[in-house]
Amino acid sequence: MIDRAQLREIDWVLVALMVINTLAGVLLIYSASSDSGGGHAWRQLAFMAVCLAVFFLTISIDYKTWMTFAPYIYVLFLLFMAGLLLFGRSVAGSRSWLRIASLGGQPSEIAKIVVLLLLARVYSEYRASYVSTGMIGLTLSLVGAPVGLILLQPDFGTAMCFLPILFGALFLAGLKKKTVAFFLIGAVVLGAAGWVFFLKDYQKKRIEVMINPSNDPRGAGYHVLQSRIAIGSGGFAGKGFLKGTQSGLKFLPARHTDFIFAVLGEDFGFLGITAVLGLYFAMLARMFRSVGKSRDRAGIYIVFLAASVISFQFLVNVLMIVGLLPITGIPIPLLSYGGSSLLATYFALGLVVNVKMRRFANV
Amino acid sequence: MTDKGIYEDFSLVRRRAKAAFFAVGLLCAFALIVYWKIQILDYRKFESLALANRTRDIVLPAPRAILTDRTGTVVLADNRAAFKASFLRDNTRDESASIRRIAALLGLGEDVVATRVEKYKIWPRFRPIVVKDNLSFEEVARIEARKNDLPELIVEAEPRRIYPHATLASHALGYLQEADVNDLKTHPDSIRAGDMVGKMGIEGEYNERIAGREGKLVEIVDSLGRSQGELERTEPQPGQRLALTLDFELQAKAEEILAGREGAVVVLDPVTGDVLALASYPNYNPNKFINRFTPEEWQDLARNPDNPLLDRALQGLYSPGSLFKPVMGLAALATGAVGSDTIYFCGGVVDIYGAPRHCWNEAGHGALNLRDAIRYSCNIYFYQLGRRIPIDTIARYAGLMGLGRKTGIDIPGEKDGLVPSTEWKKTVRREDWYPGETISVAIGQGPLQTTPIQIAAMTARLANRGTAVRPHLLMGESGAVEDDAASSIPGGAFDQVIEGMWRSVNGGGTGAAAQVEGFQVCGKTGSTQTISRETAERIADGAKIKKTHSWFTGFAPRTNPRVVVTVLVEYGGGGGATAAPLAGQLFEFFKQKHDRPRATSGN
Repeated sequence: MIDRAQLREIDWVLVALMVINTLAGVLLIYSASSDSGGGHAWRQLAFMAVCLAVFFLTISIDYKTWMTFAPYIYVLFLLFMAGLLLFGRSVAGSRSWLRIASLGGQPSEIAKIVVLLLLARVYSEYRASYVSTGMIGLTLSLVGAPVGLILLQPDFGTAMCFLPILFGALFLAGLKKKTVAFFLIGAVVLGAAGWVFFLKDYQKKRIEVMINPSNDPRGAGYHVLQSRIAIGSGGFAGKGFLKGTQSGLKFLPARHTDFIFAVLGEDFGFLGITAVLGLYFAMLARMFRSVGKSRDRAGIYIVFLAASVISFQFLVNVLMIVGLLPITGIPIPLLSYGGSSLLATYFALGLVVNVKMRRFANV
Repeated sequence: MTDKGIYEDFSLVRRRAKAAFFAVGLLCAFALIVYWKIQILDYRKFESLALANRTRDIVLPAPRAILTDRTGTVVLADNRAAFKASFLRDNTRDESASIRRIAALLGLGEDVVATRVEKYKIWPRFRPIVVKDNLSFEEVARIEARKNDLPELIVEAEPRRIYPHATLASHALGYLQEADVNDLKTHPDSIRAGDMVGKMGIEGEYNERIAGREGKLVEIVDSLGRSQGELERTEPQPGQRLALTLDFELQAKAEEILAGREGAVVVLDPVTGDVLALASYPNYNPNKFINRFTPEEWQDLARNPDNPLLDRALQGLYSPGSLFKPVMGLAALATGAVGSDTIYFCGGVVDIYGAPRHCWNEAGHGALNLRDAIRYSCNIYFYQLGRRIPIDTIARYAGLMGLGRKTGIDIPGEKDGLVPSTEWKKTVRREDWYPGETISVAIGQGPLQTTPIQIAAMTARLANRGTAVRPHLLMGESGAVEDDAASSIPGGAFDQVIEGMWRSVNGGGTGAAAQVEGFQVCGKTGSTQTISRETAERIADGAKIKKTHSWFTGFAPRTNPRVVVTVLVEYGGGGGATAAPLAGQLFEFFKQKHDRPRATSGN
């Protein structure tokens, strides 16, 4: 399946950026969990080893093959998540955590990449300049099924992460202004309906609090306020590695997962933020530029959707922890602690490298 | 459309991808600007927030100053270590559940705890709210045992005020109560909600000196409010030990003779103005107020018809009655209305302005001069003075003797009293003054009102032959006063009046019961009607209300006076019968104490 010529075409720069970002994450996770001996950091390091193996497995199998299997995995996932809803245990108020041999696995993370592959397959032969209504319907239902199940768990944050895949695909396939307007109106209507009928009180509160975080500093606004304090008090050069008081004294909630960027801001200041943002942006740029290095339409979709979903999560997280977006529990790929998130990201990046290294292959 | 063989044209999708990437780039730049704003522009703000986030200020209460008697040896107010239970809302997520559990553990009503928490709910959550104080050791142990599953209930040590002699000098000492809205408004820097502050008496007047300066402990805390060590510590500074002018033994004696009556005793040093004893009865136990949580006991005291909280010595307003006669005598002599040997005849009753006026002695005193008029407290003589001296002149001399205004004693709550004048009547009553009223004023009745402390200060001026002193309770305070009757009233007038007062006690006058062998007591009795003569005749016999208030005021010895004693007994009957013997006991006690060889220091 893999030959020497393709091996030479592996984008080692992208692999290096991926590894560097992951290691930066490990460092931050260490700082965030230093009071408990940095246990999370060592585990993240172990995850990384596993994920690297998965990464190379991903690139060793042609992305076409992955696409072929995508529908079957997709159906399996739907069944699996439906089963999880019926029988799953509740972890932290949400049922998305499946406990396998003491390792927490979050299937929804992987489902994202499966949907990505599925859409790439659907659109691989779609040549129209603009996407048709039928295709929109098909795309909406393919993304909607897992999203619906995830929302039922309920895991609003993970469900949100499907948006860049959905709209990335439609955008790439070509959206007319009319269609965009239709979506916008639909979003407003659905949003209003969701607010009234669907959103849980705690979710509503989070959105309300985003508008005015100091309203309730000990309640829902607490997280945003504490994270802003941590970031702001880092100043230009930061308080130094492990010296962050907000994080060290546990004022920062979920600091090794959703709020890892606040730990960065506190320990390493604006310099650290600039450095990591630069590294991350370099990685995203490398991914987006790989769109041009694909031999076929499916590859373009894979690369573009992978870049979109990672960009989306990064930007949403970075803006949410300073209070510009509601706190929704979306981790930063590579930087935040979490095995399944890391696995999904490595899988996605593996697909990007996969597409790129096979751009000269004739099959 | 270009045809490149087997390759399709992807330029359209690639352009779209590029546009998306451009958007991502813009958003990344935007994010960087946001972080620049927070970390560089708003750095100061967040830095101070972070600091406040991780430190907690704990107040270390300063023990209040120890208060002693004038010798500095008898402690009148002290401090003991005590424990209070406080609710730390920071340590709980469910306040109402915590309140339930705390109430159960401490055996308090849930509503009691809830009211308490409600009262201070605007406090920052890390500030403990006291829910019970004066914990027993058993309660402290019970709370400590539950430390782990009830972390929101903490035990705090605090110095507790204690008055070792309970009711002794209660009105002079005052008491402590939890700070009220007014205290917080007037002392925003030094008094905080929940503090115990001095109310009334010395505790109230000198609260700031007595309270000392509280210390501060700055603790590093984690997000659960758990201490992670000390950052800085300022030790509290206890208030400076204060000596009061009170003579412990004299005070005890004064309260002993008052016990069971309603009244007041003031003992002054006429030279320095030192208050040697200040008693008001009924009194109260200030130890009871130190409890934050028994408002009932407070209510009981406040509603008690005998009004134990009232300091009769400073706040009780009484007609001076015959005690006013020496003032009238001074006015008469100073204005020349009478000479030292002017004689009037007392036949028991005299017709003035068409109405009969009675002497208390219906048989009459016969012909007498001013000295004997004071000695026998003859009303008729003073009615005659009242005909000859206009009310405004009387008021001027009363004012010179310090009546009608506060003495300026250094504890709060003192009343002004009242000396009527034509102007007073015009502005307050909107009527003209009738000459007949002057006749009542001449024997200390009518609208005249004085307080026992005022009478004592007046007596000190008499004793000093005009030199005024300001009564005070804090040792070392100056008793000097600006205004001085000495320059307006000739010394001879004082001599005449003092002679009359000496005769009253030592010459078989009304004050005979105050006589002390070898102490040359000079004094004046007073029996003031609490109701009009007509009313008294109408109501049945034996009623308490029919009795007069019983007054005695005097000083000793006649030359170089050392002590002033003023006694008032409400509804005590005749001054000579009730107040004079009590004063006599105090003079006797004072003399014996000071004739003893001086084993201890003191004056």
